[in-house]
Amino acid sequence: MDLRETEEQRAVRADYAQWLSDFLPADYYDKYADYRWDYELRKAYQLASFEAGWLQPAWPREHGGRALGPLEALTVRLESAMRAAPKLPNIQGVGVVAPGLRSFGTSEQQERHLVPVLRGDEWWALGMSEPGAGSDFAGLRTRAVRDGDRYVVNGQKIWTTQAHESRFATLYVRTDPDAPKHRGISCLILDMESPGVTTRPIRMATITDETFCEVFLDDVEIPVTSVLGAENEGWKVAMSSLDHERDMIWVMNWVEISRGVREVQKRGDSLDDHQLVELGRRMADAEALRMTGYRSLTSSLRGDRSKEFFILKLLGSESLQRTWELAATVAGADGLADGALAFERHDALAATLYGGTSEVQRNIIGERVLGLPKG
Amino acid sequence: MDVGFSEGQLELRAAVRDVLAKECPPALVRSCLDDSEAWRPLWQRAVDLGWTGLALLDDDNGMGVIELIAVLEELGAAAAPVPLLSSAGLAAGALRAAGPAAAEWQQELADGAVGALCVDTSPGSLDASRADLLVVIAGGELSVVRPGAGVVLAPLDAVDPSRPMARVTVETDASTEVVLPVSVPAALAIPLTATAAELVGLATRVLDIAVAHAGTREQFDRVIGSFQGIKHRLADGYVAIERARGLTYAAAMLAADPDADRVDAWRAAALAKAAAGDAATETTRAGVQVLGALGMTWEHDMHLYLRRAWQLSPLLGDSAALYRDAASSLVGAR
Ligand SMILES: Cc1cc2nc3c(=O)[nH]c(=O)nc-3n(C[C@H](O)[C@H](O)[C@H](O)COP(=O)(O)OP(=O)(O)OC[C@H]3O[C@@H](n4cnc5c(N)ncnc54)[C@H](O)[C@@H]3O)c2cc1C
Repeated sequence: MDLRETEEQRAVRADYAQWLSDFLPADYYDKYADYRWDYELRKAYQLASFEAGWLQPAWPREHGGRALGPLEALTVRLESAMRAAPKLPNIQGVGVVAPGLRSFGTSEQQERHLVPVLRGDEWWALGMSEPGAGSDFAGLRTRAVRDGDRYVVNGQKIWTTQAHESRFATLYVRTDPDAPKHRGISCLILDMESPGVTTRPIRMATITDETFCEVFLDDVEIPVTSVLGAENEGWKVAMSSLDHERDMIWVMNWVEISRGVREVQKRGDSLDDHQLVELGRRMADAEALRMTGYRSLTSSLRGDRSKEFFILKLLGSESLQRTWELAATVAGADGLADGALAFERHDALAATLYGGTSEVQRNIIGERVLGLPKG
Repeated sequence: MDVGFSEGQLELRAAVRDVLAKECPPALVRSCLDDSEAWRPLWQRAVDLGWTGLALLDDDNGMGVIELIAVLEELGAAAAPVPLLSSAGLAAGALRAAGPAAAEWQQELADGAVGALCVDTSPGSLDASRADLLVVIAGGELSVVRPGAGVVLAPLDAVDPSRPMARVTVETDASTEVVLPVSVPAALAIPLTATAAELVGLATRVLDIAVAHAGTREQFDRVIGSFQGIKHRLADGYVAIERARGLTYAAAMLAADPDADRVDAWRAAALAKAAAGDAATETTRAGVQVLGALGMTWEHDMHLYLRRAWQLSPLLGDSAALYRDAASSLVGAR
């Protein structure tokens, strides 16, 4: 057990840090509040990291990586988070869709889709949730009926982030209505430009630029070659997709908690004892997340299924909310007219919903980790 | 970097677990609640098996901080009524912070002497009434004192008599063997980390007990673990424990790293102990709730763990104080 960086980690971290500071505008950190909304910069960052091999560091060169080991790759991810590197504009494309294509895609699908999604040329949406199927994802009703070499799809998706800006979506549909509900689902690659697809953005309660949408599907034709994974094996694709999503989310939460903690620390002089205690708790959360991420990686490198992994989403998202609650308390009356703070605090409320709610995470921990029976 | 135990550490831990499973049943812990001598045979075994050698805190020779926390997790899980935490974790941990000049007393502890740590800011000292030597930290100095003339031990009627607490007053005529400068609170890094490890081990066992009960007890024709009120509380317990475990490992790794900044190591240890105290008090409270009335009986083991958790949680600072101190050390507010 040794927390010290290996030579490889140190070297790769230094390389990345140098590359990042060369890439970023000189006033990036001074004007971070503006730059975080700068789409052009964020797009340029994605393309540049793809080309430099920093986008998915464990992957081969042609897929935006440099074939690093898992530990070195995590080091780069955390370093990028710590340095507040620009957020990828369509983060689920790189973080969720691309790994799914690599695990489940045919070589034609990989050939067609991987590079554009990684470069950011084509955006992707995740078509899982429906009006009647949120936490109960397996209860989805969007129906795909096979007709020769195509499916005809009817139904509706909702909360589909960036659907209106996406060229493709992973669309989860019911292909076998007679099978038990987990077994009759397939994942299709939906071309959002297909006839019969209607996308309607939903106005968000915050000023976020990651708007979610309703997506209506009326007799949409999708070729059978667009199944991702096998027919009726969509549940497996979805579970793997959710693992990638949660793996992405905890790092995002960790960055935001660390940023919130620094905000609070800046007001250090005015903190009362109770607020200091809360600050200490959030510092502990941030460090516990990082350690749990490393422990989870260590288990999987040793070939054990990591149990620690299951706490990352719950701990990260709950802590993120408390961090911004604390920041708001500490700001006191000054916080009333602080739009940026109000946004952070409000945006953090979504973290315990997306990627599986906190209640669902507790069910998963209770059942899959502790072995308690289903309710 | 590798945040898992090595093969050797896992073997050591498994060996300790086996011995405790046979020789430290809950019945022994229970008997120690009203028999102040019943801990001695197990302690003799610990000495014979070389567990006290951990007091050397020798990171280069397989008896360092990491081995210490691996072993203490097991002692915590068994609620072992022996003073290994106070000797090898608290007293030896503080001695190590005083540098090579304190090695002689670490050796004595490694050979089986019972040590206790007295910190002027703490209301009581764990296992002081059992100690052969007392390590006292006061006003930036560490001294080693023998019990006897000039050392007044006032037993505390604390909640866990299986590992007694006493208030220690050292008077001018005490036989002080050495006085060394130490920096406080950095000197408390290993003591805090060691205490955290026992608490994490304890909380893990408590959660196991609660989960086992929740998986078998039926009410309303269902196993109670299928009720979300129960399931979610246990899931939260699991999160609290793993949060604390990660922090404890981080603190141990910093303590074992000679190049790490000493204040960073102390801060990590403070956060670990705070988290572990929270995890242990929360899981024991949840444990009683899940057990129902059974949890309030003398016969069920839960109160053994609960006493231990309540005794250790305020030691060297309760969770709130440690979180506060760790935070202030960064904001410079205090
Ligand atoms: C910002 C944001 C972005 C999103 N982006 C996408 C996206 O791109 N693609 C996509 O498919 N989805 C997306 N979602 C949807 C997200 O996955 C769902 O919101 C989530 O799965 C919960 O479903 P729901 O909103 O229907 O709530 P419901 O499932 O109706 O839940 C409502 C409440 O009931 C609780 N609850 C439900 N079931 C249980 C249970 N079994 N036990 C205990 N409590 C329960 C929930 O925890 C929650 O508190 C996004 C959501 C948000 C907030």
